[in-house]
Amino acid sequence: MTNNLERTLAIFYCRNMPESGEEVRQSLEKKYGKSIRLFPMPCSGRIDIVHLLRALEEFADAVYVITCPEGACRYLEGNKRIGKRVERAKSIIEGIGLEKERLNLITPVAVNDKFSLASYAEEIMKGAIKYTPSPVFKKTAHGAGKTKRKGSKAP
Amino acid sequence: MITAEQKPMNEIRDMIAPYKRILTVGCASCVAECAAGGEKETGALASALRMACKMAGDEKIIHEKTLDRQCVKDFVIQLEDVIKDYDAILSLGCGAGVQAVAEMYNEVPVIPALNTEFLGETRDQGLWVENCLGCGDCMLYFFGGVCPLARCSKQLLNGPCGGSQDGRCEVDPDVPCAWQNIIDRLSSFNALDRLEKIYPPKDWSKKRGAGPRKIIREDQKR
Repeated sequence: MTNNLERTLAIFYCRNMPESGEEVRQSLEKKYGKSIRLFPMPCSGRIDIVHLLRALEEFADAVYVITCPEGACRYLEGNKRIGKRVERAKSIIEGIGLEKERLNLITPVAVNDKFSLASYAEEIMKGAIKYTPSPVFKKTAHGAGKTKRKGSKAP
Repeated sequence: MITAEQKPMNEIRDMIAPYKRILTVGCASCVAECAAGGEKETGALASALRMACKMAGDEKIIHEKTLDRQCVKDFVIQLEDVIKDYDAILSLGCGAGVQAVAEMYNEVPVIPALNTEFLGETRDQGLWVENCLGCGDCMLYFFGGVCPLARCSKQLLNGPCGGSQDGRCEVDPDVPCAWQNIIDRLSSFNALDRLEKIYPPKDWSKKRGAGPRKIIREDQKR
């Protein structure tokens, strides 16, 4: 898929959610190309504020965290902790003038809900159009041109 | 442990504004324990500042490094090889850490990124409470291991005030009454008689009576 929107979304996800294996990740990366960056984590509780900020700093227009369902964390409270960290990270980016909507948390409601990494990723990518390009990559020293994203090709 | 909290972002940005090349220096000791200035917080602050600068079109170079201890010169010396590359240090150490770095590198401005708060205890995850004033004359033996100066809102040395209700402080009902704790603790090991003595007003001369304090131990010297 071509990256018509020129938006890059980062998705951190718990590896314990159903249908989130390596082959699913590879097929999503093939489908969405540079628009998507997927980060499988052993537990969403392993994700720290600095990971979310680095993604926004280096390449992402928006960041999503998908946890395992409520009550299903194999480490008991990893998916609760990440919620608080996302809130803290939101307050940090708001403090520097970046919209807090660029950070999102998805926690499936019940263990029995039908969901998968692919279905969430599809939904997220459909909504990518709502994001304007991140101002982090817009300006250079004199307010013109673009700051290069990490991982993008040299102009 | 020394506790601290990060300063507001705007205050930090104002202080670093005149400088182009900034080294953000964290400390992996007390301020890491209270999640204010450890490696993760240093990385997060540096990242946020870089983003803020990019959005403002301000071409600053902001790097980060975390020392095991910022208040010990044997660790601060690790900056020796890199400090020449920067115009300023943004320190996430406590006040002692900031000053240790400043004293060692006289020619480099050292900017505090944290407000140092108090000597305290990690009571729970995400909860730190003040329980020592560093008075220089510890009386915890007499009060069953509960300091009335640090933990009683009125710093009473001779029994509770009349406002203690159900074991809570009248100044702030969220705070346990220190005197209730003192009596409970002393009762539990039959030492209530320690309260029969009248304790005179605290002698603060041992805290700041002779200016900045220092400890000298000949056996620890070089």
